[in-house]
Amino acid sequence: MATPFETKKTEDGTTLFVRGSLDINTAPALAEEIDKIVATKPSKVECDISGLDLIDSSGVAALVKLYKSVRSVGGAIKITGARDQPLAIFKLLRMDKVFNL
Amino acid sequence: MSTIRLTVPGNLRYRGIAVRVVAEAARLVSGSAQRDPNDPLDNDVRHPFDTAVVSAFMEIFNNVAIHAYQRKDVGTIQIVITPTERELVIEIEDYGNSFDIDRVAPLPAELDELSLPEGGMGIHIAKTMLDEVTYEPGPPNLWRLSKRLPATAGIAREERS
Repeated sequence: MATPFETKKTEDGTTLFVRGSLDINTAPALAEEIDKIVATKPSKVECDISGLDLIDSSGVAALVKLYKSVRSVGGAIKITGARDQPLAIFKLLRMDKVFNL
Repeated sequence: MSTIRLTVPGNLRYRGIAVRVVAEAARLVSGSAQRDPNDPLDNDVRHPFDTAVVSAFMEIFNNVAIHAYQRKDVGTIQIVITPTERELVIEIEDYGNSFDIDRVAPLPAELDELSLPEGGMGIHIAKTMLDEVTYEPGPPNLWRLSKRLPATAGIAREERS
C-alpha cells in the first residue's frame, strides 16, 4: 500500500502532505509520523490535504491527534487544502471552524 | 429491481474493494461523472450523494471488521446493494459479535480545541450522512443503509437524459 503522506522541512517549520485515502488502514502509519514530527517540538506545522480524496473517522482522529499534539508543544498548526469528501466530513463533524478550513 | 451482491472476508484488507463497488453503485444513482475515466482506481468521490453513501459505508465496514469480527481474520461480510432511480439501499450482514448502537455517545454539543474528539465519530457520520441507518442484532447482524436523491437532483438528471 502506497504511503499517503510525505514530510518536508521548511525554513520555519514542517509541511506534511497527505494524499489519497486517509483511513483505518493508512492512519496508523500517519500517527507514527506525527509522533516523529511532534518529537522535534516544531514551532510551525502545515498539513496540506489538497491531495486527500477520502477520509474516514480514523483519518479524522489522526489529524485531530496532529492538531492537539502540535498545540501541546506550543506549536502553530494549519490544515490547508481540504476539498470534496474530506471537507464534507470536517463540516459534518463541525471541525471546519476549529481547523479554520 | 437489480441487486449487486458482494461477499468479502470480514477483514480490513478487503475494505477498499467493497468501498469501490459501493462508490460505483452510488454513481449509478447520482449520475455523477468520473473525474478521470482512464483511472478506474481513482478515489473519485465528489458528488454529495456519492460522498454521503461512501462515507457512511466506510464507517459501517470499519465497525463490522473491528467490533463484530474484532480485527480477526474470521467470517465474511455480505453486502447487498440495490440501486434504484432515486435511492440506494445497502444491506451489510455479518456473523460476528453484535453491536449496541444505543451505547454510541453523541458528539459534544460545543466543539472547540479541547473537546475535539479522537474517536466515536463513525456511527455519527453514518447516521448524519444518510436518510436511514438501522441495525438488527443477529446472528446474522444486519445493517441497512439508505440514501435518497433530493428532489431537485432527480429533476436535473431527467433534464440531462
